[in-house]
Order: sequence, then C-alpha cells, then structure tokens
Amino acid sequence: MKRQATLWRIGSYAALLLAVALVLFPIYWMAITSLKLPREIYRTPALWPHVLTLNNYRLLLDEKDFLDNIRNSVVVAGAVTVISLIVSSLAAYSMVRFRTRFRGLIGRLILFAYLTPTSLLFIPLSILMSRLQLGNSLYGLVLVYLTFSLPLSTWLLQGYFRSVPRSLEEQGMIDGLTRLGALLRIVLPLSGPGLAAVAIFTFTGAWNELLLALVLITSESARTAPLGLNYLITSDVLPWGPLMAGAVLSSLPLMILYFIAQRFMVQGMTTGSVKG
Amino acid sequence: MSLAVSRRSPWSAGTSQARFAYALVLPVVLLLAGLVAYPFFYAIFVSFTDRVVGNDGQWIGLANFRYLAQSPAFAAAIWNTIVLVVSSDVLKLGIGLALALLVNQRLPGRGLFRSALMLPWAMPAFVAFLTWRVIYQPIGGGLNLVLTGTGLWPDVVDWLGQRSTAMPAVVAASVWRGFPFWFISILAALQTIPVELYEAARVDGASAWQRFWAVTFPSIRPVVIVTALLSSIWTANSFENVWLLTQGGPSDATIVFPVLAYFGMQTQRIGEAAAVSVAMLPVLAILVFAGTAMMQRGEDE
Amino acid sequence: MIRNGRWTRRQILGTTLVGSAGLAAGRRALAAPAIVKGSKLTFWGGLIFSEKANKLQAETIRKWGADNGVAVDVVMINQNETVQKVSAAIASNTMPDALDLGLDLLLLLSRQGVFLPIDDLFDSVGKAQGGWYPAAEMATDTRKVAGGRTGLPFGITGNLLLRRNDLLTKAGFSKPPATWEELVTQCVAVNKPPFHALGLALSNVGDGNTQIGVLQAYGGRIADETGTKATIKSEGTREYLRWVKDAWDKKLFPPGNTTWDGAGDNNAYLSGQTAFIANTGSVGIAAKSQDPELFNATLYSSLPGGPKGNYSPVGPNVRAIPKSSKNPDAARALLEHLAQPEFMSAYYADAIYGPVTKAQAKFKVFDGKDAIHAGLLDLVERGTAPAYPDVYNPAFADVWDNFVVPKMIQRVVIDNWDFDRAMDEAQKQTQAIYDKYK
Repeated sequence: MKRQATLWRIGSYAALLLAVALVLFPIYWMAITSLKLPREIYRTPALWPHVLTLNNYRLLLDEKDFLDNIRNSVVVAGAVTVISLIVSSLAAYSMVRFRTRFRGLIGRLILFAYLTPTSLLFIPLSILMSRLQLGNSLYGLVLVYLTFSLPLSTWLLQGYFRSVPRSLEEQGMIDGLTRLGALLRIVLPLSGPGLAAVAIFTFTGAWNELLLALVLITSESARTAPLGLNYLITSDVLPWGPLMAGAVLSSLPLMILYFIAQRFMVQGMTTGSVKG
Repeated sequence: MSLAVSRRSPWSAGTSQARFAYALVLPVVLLLAGLVAYPFFYAIFVSFTDRVVGNDGQWIGLANFRYLAQSPAFAAAIWNTIVLVVSSDVLKLGIGLALALLVNQRLPGRGLFRSALMLPWAMPAFVAFLTWRVIYQPIGGGLNLVLTGTGLWPDVVDWLGQRSTAMPAVVAASVWRGFPFWFISILAALQTIPVELYEAARVDGASAWQRFWAVTFPSIRPVVIVTALLSSIWTANSFENVWLLTQGGPSDATIVFPVLAYFGMQTQRIGEAAAVSVAMLPVLAILVFAGTAMMQRGEDE
Repeated sequence: MIRNGRWTRRQILGTTLVGSAGLAAGRRALAAPAIVKGSKLTFWGGLIFSEKANKLQAETIRKWGADNGVAVDVVMINQNETVQKVSAAIASNTMPDALDLGLDLLLLLSRQGVFLPIDDLFDSVGKAQGGWYPAAEMATDTRKVAGGRTGLPFGITGNLLLRRNDLLTKAGFSKPPATWEELVTQCVAVNKPPFHALGLALSNVGDGNTQIGVLQAYGGRIADETGTKATIKSEGTREYLRWVKDAWDKKLFPPGNTTWDGAGDNNAYLSGQTAFIANTGSVGIAAKSQDPELFNATLYSSLPGGPKGNYSPVGPNVRAIPKSSKNPDAARALLEHLAQPEFMSAYYADAIYGPVTKAQAKFKVFDGKDAIHAGLLDLVERGTAPAYPDVYNPAFADVWDNFVVPKMIQRVVIDNWDFDRAMDEAQKQTQAIYDKYK
C-alpha cells in the first residue's frame, strides 16, 4: 500500500517536472535572448548565450524609463483587481442567495459581454471615454478594464459561493450576523480558492491588455508595460534583446502575485463544516 | 444527503431582500450596459452600413455579408475556427485537468510548480506569440535546434510555412498560452470539494478511477462548462495567435474571422469589419445558450 | 538723418528703401499666420527606427513651441498602429492639431474630408526649395479627392534591393541585377541550402505586396486604366507566375517565406541566411551598429525591371492638419518650420528617407558617401507613384490590404494550383472588391 503511494508520488513529480520543462522552454528562450547581443541573436542562434550581456536591460531601464511603465501597470491592474473582488463578491453573493427572477437572464447577459471582440469595441469605447473626459488617463483605463473583469469575476465567484453550505450562514445569522456579515465572515473566508483564482485572472488580464491601452493612452508618462514593449518596435527590424528583456521584467510582478495567490488555493476549506 | 437538502431550502426573496439583491448587482449591470451593450449593438448596426472611418455611411442591408460570404477565405475561416476552437479546448481541458489534479496533492514545492505553470500568462499576448514565431523558425529556431541537437528529428522543419504543420503549430502555441485559465479554474474548483465526499466514497470501496467519476467530475462539471464556454468564445475571437504566427496563411490554411476583420479595419471599412464579427455571433450565441442550459440543468438536479 | 532741413537724395532713397522694406515685412507679417501666444498644440509624430531622429523631432517641436509661446504636446506614435489610433481619434473627436502619416492613410482620410487644404504651404515650400520631386508631388496630389492639397511631404520611403556583395562578387557578379530574370540567375549561383538566396516575402504582409510590382513588370495589371475592372487574369500575370514558380522550384526562397511577418525578410538577411532582400534601408542601419561585417558586405540598388517595365514604387510620408484642429494657424507655422533645411538636414542624417525637394538632394547626407542614402536618392529620382501603372484608388488599396496577390502566389506554390485556377480566384476576388467601390 505504502509502495503504491510512493510510486504515485514519484510518478506525479516526474509528470510535473516534464510539464514544467515543456511549459518553461519558451520562457527560457525569452530569458536567454534578453541576455544576448543583437548580432548573436541573429547570426548564431543557440540554446545558451556565447556572450552574456546586460545591455538590453540597461537600455530599457535607463533610456526607456521602463520602470515607469511597470509602475503604471501595477497601479491599473491593482485597482482593477481590488475593485473587481469587492464588487463581484457582492454581485455574486446576491445572485446566489436570492433567487431573483432575473438570475438566469443576468447570467446570460454576463456571458454575452464577451462575444464582441476588442477589435470592434475599441472605437465605441474610445468615443465613450472621450465624452466622459477620461481619455488618456489611467482612471479611464481602469474603468474600461473593469467592464471586462467584472462579468467573469461575478460568474466565477457565483460558482464558488454556491458551494458554501447555507447551513453555515443560517447558523451565523441565528448567532446575530447581518447578511453582509455573513458574507464577510463566513462565505468569503471559505472561498479562498475562488477569490485567489479571480485575483489571478483579473490582475493578469488587466496587466497584459494592449489594444485598448494603445488607443486610449497617448502620453508617454501614462503608458503601461505592454505599451512600453509595443513602442520598442518602431519599424520592421525588431529589437529582440530589449523586447525580451522587457518581457522578463514585466513578468516579475505577475510571478510574485501568482506565488502569493496560490497559497490561498488550499483543499478542503469547507471540510468539516457540514454537520451530519 | 443533507447537502442536497440544504441547497433546496426556500430562499425566495422577500421585498427588502430583493431590493438588497438588485442593489448589489446594479453596478455590474450598469457598467455592462454602458460600456459593453452599447458597443455590442453599435457593432451589429454598423455591420449593415457601409460606414468608413470619418463618414457615417448608409444602410446597405446585407451587402457586407454577401461580400464576405463570396470571398474564398470565408469557407476556410469557418473550418479553421472549428478546428482551432475544438482542438484547443480539448487539449486545454486535458492538460489543465491533469495538472490541476497533480498539483492539488500535498507535494513539497507545489507552490513553485503552480507558479511556474502560470508563466505562459506572465507576458502580453503579442510577446508570447512573437516568441513562438521565433521558436518555430526553420533555421535557427528553438524548436528545430532542440530537435536536431538531440537527434529526435534530423531535418529542418518549416513549421509555419506548410499546410500540414501550420494549424497544429498555431494550436500548440495557443494551448501553451491558454491552458493556465483551465488549470487555475479547475484547481480552484477541485478545492471546493469537501474531503468527506472522497472519504465516504473510499469507505464504500470505490477505486481511484471510480472516485474520480463519482465525486470529482460531477463537482467540477459546472466550472468546466463555464470555462469551456469562455475559452471557446475567446479562442474564436483571438487574433494575435494567428496573425503573429502565420497571418492566416499559408494559402488560407490558418485564416480565421478575426484576421478577416483586421483586413476590413486596415481599409477603414468598419462596416465590413463589423460584419465579420456579427457573422460569428449566431454560432457563439448558440454556444452560450447551450452552455448555460447545461449549467441550469445541473443546478436543478 | 536730415541735414539743413532738406532731404539729400541718399536720404530719400534710404527712407524709401527702408519704408518699402518695412511695408514688405508688414505684408509678410500680414500673410503669415498669426500665432496666438499661450495657445495649445498637439502633434503626433511618426516613430521611425532611429531613436536619435525621433528625439530630434520631438525636441525641435518643443523648442519651436517655447520660442513661439505655444504649449506643445508632442506624442510619438508607432507607425504600425497609426491606423487604429487615428480611427479611434476621428470617431471620438480627439485628433491632434497636426500629425505625420503615410500616403495611403492620407488619401483614405482626405476622401472623407478629414484634413485642411494647405496648397499655399505646399507651393511656398516647393518654391523655396527648388521645386518638389515629381514622385512626391504627383503621389500626394489630393486635389481631385479633397479639393486641395492636404499633405505636406517630408520624406520618401521605398524598397531598395539589398545584396550580399561579398558572396556575389565571389560568384562573379559585380553589378546588381537589372531584371528579375537576372536576379534569379545570380541567386542560383550562390544558392546553397540552408542558404537560400532569394529573400523575398510571399506572405500576407506589406513585403508580400512588393510582388505586385514584379507582376506589373511582367505586364500584368490589377485593373484597367479606368480603375474599375479587374484585369488580374492575363498573359502578363501568367508570365509572372511562371517566374515565381520557377524560382520556388529551384528552392531559391528561404523556408517559411509564405508566412513571414514584416520582419521575416530582415531576420533572414541579418542572420546571414539570404543574399537578396527588398528593404527600405532599415536593415542597413541595424547592421551598421550591430553587425559591421554584414554592413560592409551589403550594397543597395533599385529594384530590377521586367520585360514590360521597370517600376520603383515610392511611398511619401506627409504631414497634415485635421479640420478639427482648434489651432490651425500655429499648426501651419509648425509644419513650415519643420520643412526648413536646418531641421530636415539633421533629421535625414539619421532617418532612412529620400529627399522630397531638389534643394534637399544637396544635403550632405546624400553626397554619395553613404550607400543607403545614395540608394534612396536614386530611388526618388527614378521613383514611380505607388500602384503605377495601375490607378491608385481606394479599390486598389483594398486589394493591397486583402493581400490578393500574395494569396494567389501561395495558391500556386503551396497548393500547387495551376495558373488558370489561381488567376481565376484572384480575378473573382479582385472584381468583387472593385465592385464595392462602384
């Protein structure tokens, strides 16, 4: 029995290592390209740099103020995530706990939000933003990103909230909690994995978005990280070194987020909460 | 079981509770109405006009759609979209599910594994697909370097320039980029399954396989359906993966609707571009209805 | 000075001269736009490959603003995204006061009446600088579609043929190929897989559309002289397809060129994997700084000709003023300032543009020592208007944007369609496009 368990563990490890190796190969390629000189990138492609250089990073940080772009992205993505978590928790909770007549309709409406591609939405959205005087500002960007993150967050949280047994909430309300208190003290803590997933999706989506940022933001100082990377490409000769360096740098905040968020993804938060 | 019973306890809304409910959902609905519904209906309207940038254009009925339907790329786009969406979904489901099950176990270092597996998301889409283009390069590209270096395949393969390998190459890159969504969704769903259910099944003598089908799969089914819906919609609407890798070529082998819409945008013919997206709507709408119906049924069971 | 209370002749003459000079100055001041001090102006500049030139442009505009009391906001736009940004800006009424743009967008938008006519500016700059080059003048003529000239040209781009002179001289070819057939011959001599000599793109990108020029050189045409009927299926096109298929069968094209992006041919050349590419000069500039060995081995010439003609299409870049601008006078003054030799000579030194006026051709950068700029000057002098000998109308631009010709080529080389079948499909699609514009 124990041998079976150990074999299973070794097998799992091997499978995971293989998966990680396959998944990480392009990342590896990006990282080593960022450390190569342009001539080497073109003339002598290899799986390891002949000459290691930090020039690409220096170019980005010194000449291009890439850290400002990253800072803008952190602000925008952070705001969108926090607001999304709060608003969609409330919305999802009400959709789950109150069997309102329109629940199914609202659900479908939320999914319909994703049917129109951004390549078509960007013109009407920029008209709206300019009317609201929010063009070329990070606030406008946050608002626009919220429209894409709220439907998804709400829908996902619905699913997780639904799995929290009502008996717990009933118990809490009998003990004197308000409805809002029940949400905050009982439902949310038990939905750790769901909240972590929503945080990951929302932050990533807002961080990586390019087309809307491109159209809405015109000042250099307000550029987000993807815009900063996009503006490295000025003609048909691509600056691979700085581009990959930028990609590596802009992935670091995301990595930190992922590592923190996944700690909330713990099995069995609802374990032992069901009595009988 | 008591779980099922408690789910069905009557919670139909009284007036004050209903008002509270509406108040909570209102911000979301307003935002959606303003920023998404308006452009959505605008796009549908525009597809029936010959609107060009700078000029409102006139109503021309189905002319845009007729032009679209006769173009040689239209039939190819339909087929390619189906292939791309279905194969991406199946692969992402398989990989996402397998990985989620693996990292859900109490393995040391699983935090690192989980974070590493989310890396395909840690960069803007255009950077990801530009990198894949370089990897697919025939001479000097990473993939061919590894294949020839390890002796797995002696010749240089033109991954993107041949009909036989172009679509699989696009699918592979898309799956790489998109599986984290399935991975995280399923992982979070797995973790809301109470451990007692597994215990009960084990006590009843179920094997690991049977436990999966009896406990795991039904519990994650709703999440899988939603994820499949969203992922399909996003894949059908995705532009960068095809454009940055093959531009719809070679010879329409990978052409999809978003690329056709892009051509319309470049000529500033917004009516045409909108018509392409609107042409996709009926199919996507059917998907949405079917999916939500499946979920509704699952709920009422 | 008045002496003895009487005016000397010199004094009268002097006064008259001063007086008339003053009057003339006054007249010029009246004619010159009145720049309102304290007003705002937004300028969208086009980012080019040279960081130095971009900075120079931004600084020059800012200094002009400071000198003239105008608060300028300079935004540098990536040329790849000008279309999206401009579409959104027009729709949301947030266009700048002046901007850089390419010819195709200028024509497209001029037809919608987006821009202000600036004929007077065009004429005065042309006169002051020895006259416009015919290519620049004719290509940017928007008078028929917009009732006046809306674009002020400032730089000409076009494709040059870059070649690996070191390899070719070793094979016995010291001169650039004069015809497309000769090009194939030279390629065959140096072709040795994995080195594929003919680095021309056949994909759905702008580079792929340079094949239209080859098609025309063989006698093929997209449409007839009125620009309304598709004529792609023809003997000329058949000859051209024979040339392409022949080169393909000889394995002269690098693998993957049917799905290259805009950088595909450049990547191939900079990696030393090909001998010939069509490029605007950006590869030369890149090689200069990162790969001097390759730079020294590269020479530039104009594109070869075919049996039925020799066409070197040029693409002028222009500056324009949207009608929605709230500060058109300042915008005009800025455009005039940017057209002056002090700025342009410094800008050209780092940019890869050819001159637009005869006076500019005398700048130091075009004296022949720099191979790339010498090639660009040559291109301007013999350059043809875009689409020539076809009519450059919106329908042609649509055929261009839908990559009809690259698709036809791909059908032939990838799917092995026979020429008639491929031409029929292209003909049908082209006619459908032209019908949209009836």
